[in-house]
Amino acid sequence: MRITSNFYADTLVRQLSTLENRQARLQQQAATGQRIVTADDDPLAMRQVLDLQGQGANLSQYAANIARQQETASATYSVMTGLKKISDRASELATMADGTKPKDQLAIYAKEVTQLIQQAVQAANAKNRESYLLSGTKTDQAPYSVTTDANGNVTAVSYNGNTDQASSEVASGITLSAGTIGSNSTGSGPLGLVSDTRTGADFFNHLISLQNNLLAGNSAAVQSTDKANMSADENNLLSQIGSNGAMQARLETLASLNQSQQSDTEKAVSNVADADITQTIVKLNSTQTAYQAALQSGAKVLNMSLLDYLR
Amino acid sequence: MPGLFGILSLGSRSLQTQQSGIEVAGHNIANANNTGYTRQRLLVQATSQAGGQYGSIGTGIEGVAVQQLRDVLLDAQITSETSISGSLDAQQTALQQAQASLGEQLDRLASGTDSTNAIGNTHSLSTGLSDLFNAFQTLANDPTSPSARQSVLLKAQSLGGQFNQIKTRFDELDKQLNQSVGSDVQSANQLMSDIAKLNGQITANEAGDPGSANDLRDLREQKLEALAKIVKVDVANGSNGAVDLSIGGVSMVSGKSVADTLQTVDPGNGRLLVQAAGAGTTLNMTGGSLHGTIDARDSAIANTESQVNALAAAMIKEVNAVHATGFSQGGTSGNDFFTGTGAGNIAVNNALVVNPSLIQASGDATAAGNNKVALALAQLGTKPFASLGNQSFAQNYSATVASLGSSLNTVNNQIGDQGVVTQMLKAQRDSSSGVSLDEEMTDLTRYQKAYQASARLINTIDDLLDVALSLKR
Repeated sequence: MRITSNFYADTLVRQLSTLENRQARLQQQAATGQRIVTADDDPLAMRQVLDLQGQGANLSQYAANIARQQETASATYSVMTGLKKISDRASELATMADGTKPKDQLAIYAKEVTQLIQQAVQAANAKNRESYLLSGTKTDQAPYSVTTDANGNVTAVSYNGNTDQASSEVASGITLSAGTIGSNSTGSGPLGLVSDTRTGADFFNHLISLQNNLLAGNSAAVQSTDKANMSADENNLLSQIGSNGAMQARLETLASLNQSQQSDTEKAVSNVADADITQTIVKLNSTQTAYQAALQSGAKVLNMSLLDYLR
Repeated sequence: MPGLFGILSLGSRSLQTQQSGIEVAGHNIANANNTGYTRQRLLVQATSQAGGQYGSIGTGIEGVAVQQLRDVLLDAQITSETSISGSLDAQQTALQQAQASLGEQLDRLASGTDSTNAIGNTHSLSTGLSDLFNAFQTLANDPTSPSARQSVLLKAQSLGGQFNQIKTRFDELDKQLNQSVGSDVQSANQLMSDIAKLNGQITANEAGDPGSANDLRDLREQKLEALAKIVKVDVANGSNGAVDLSIGGVSMVSGKSVADTLQTVDPGNGRLLVQAAGAGTTLNMTGGSLHGTIDARDSAIANTESQVNALAAAMIKEVNAVHATGFSQGGTSGNDFFTGTGAGNIAVNNALVVNPSLIQASGDATAAGNNKVALALAQLGTKPFASLGNQSFAQNYSATVASLGSSLNTVNNQIGDQGVVTQMLKAQRDSSSGVSLDEEMTDLTRYQKAYQASARLINTIDDLLDVALSLKR
């Protein structure tokens, strides 16, 4: 091949430009740690990364949703244990109110039961983040309201909530609600915490009946009906506490599953998008060497011609 | 037999010829860095006179012609490859701009530092999409929380803004590409008129001596290659050294006259095409930057635009449809979430922006804590839609990004391959037509020595003539 004067110059420029491009790309990879930055670097990988990032964003939102449900579950648990304590004390009073107690004593017990009812209503009207916990989805309304007579005795406790529950998505396609509703007399839907026609629990009405029987000095009725009712309510509370515990355990499992899914997703993104730093640096070094060699040899060749030897 | 005077004129012819050789070498050296130049060579022949005492006897040398070392086949190949490179370069430029317009860049180092998303982060529409649906999730967790409502609105506004911005950028890009089509058409017309003029000059110059207008031919070849970069032309060798040009079957230059010119035409969608002004036919171009610009604009870029638009339209439709089934915090309904019809005008309903409690997150007019609709809105984020090819919003968008990226990637690879082909052809042409300074220096020395020797010959004959003339004394 005949080599012309411009051949060296053109070739050198082309080679240097190729090497500079390669260096720039490798330098970018080394600096960012990424194999791809824009979609044209590797369209398929970019698509995978975008999809995986979307999944990752969903997973971190699920993690936030799980945390929120855990918060609800633990707030509900506090309400449950509060009610359980009240139920324990009421059962105690029912047990103590046997035939041996004088009427005055029973009246004192009745006063305490009235207080317990007020206390229980207060506990059941607990709020978390400005939302009532037990009123179903009517979170802006206190679930229970108390009606008293002229003597301050409780005549009725009514439920103002509904039987609906707000749920969150805790994993793709899985929604759940860790909360509890107060009462359910519809015979379907979630179980009511203090009253439900299916379990026979009717905490407030049973307490009112206990209060009334004590006021009337009817210790026989206390022993025959109220004691049994109280124990049914206690069982109901215990079973609800058990469910709450199971729900918290389930949320815990979901949270740890979520975490491992997140790290899997991160790994997958890394596999697709990250540059192999060792390989990149080695390649960068060899490209730099080639670049230097091209510069040196080019400078030598370009400087020489026949003119150097003609007088 | 020439005699002494004959030898004298032989010497003088030789001097002239060597001088011409030096002239040609000088012209070559002067044009060593002229990329459009084809090296020239002095063709010489020995002269002789018949019928001498010893038969035919030489009378020296004469220059015959200055010849260009041009390889017509290589020129044609390079012209045609130039059209391909021109098209690919134009496509690359357009697609790179389109990709920048989408603004989808991966920046994994930024992940976790400036975003709630621990996996990685692109500052773009794809982040905007997952942010909005995650904000709906947060709203579902606390349907009555004012901050969750505010956050939904902010994310939705920012997503709407991103859609608007992409649409504006693409509109701007379309405008730029139209401008580039317009300026290409102007340059092509100018070049074709130049070539027609050069045809006329070459024909006039070469009258009776075909192929002799070397430098004009160089100039025309340069113009032809510049034209081929813009639009693929069919070149036919006409009569008298002229070339005839046609584009897409329509004759553009015939001899020294311009047969037709190019002009832009709007087919009705604002995307300018090119037609022959005289013939009035829209030209189907197969190469050159005009083809590249129009092709990239009307296929990959137009697709991306319509996909983004369809995505925005689907977002508006689906989100509004679910939102319509819900009730605001006050139990009212009837407000759309998004207004607009596509990427250009998608926006959050201003009524909601003014009063976030109007977001219809509840599925029950009487229960503010009901989150059914907020949850359904959140779940739209992962739901596949038939209108989006059974993909979710985010998947559809990443498919759009990947498809544009893949068009650009293909063009990048083609440019790499094309570069190799063009380089090889150019190296070949350079090898046959390029100037080598070493060669020219050698020639220069050679002609110099021959010139010196011829002068010496004249000197010798002069001496001989002196001797001959002194015989009389």
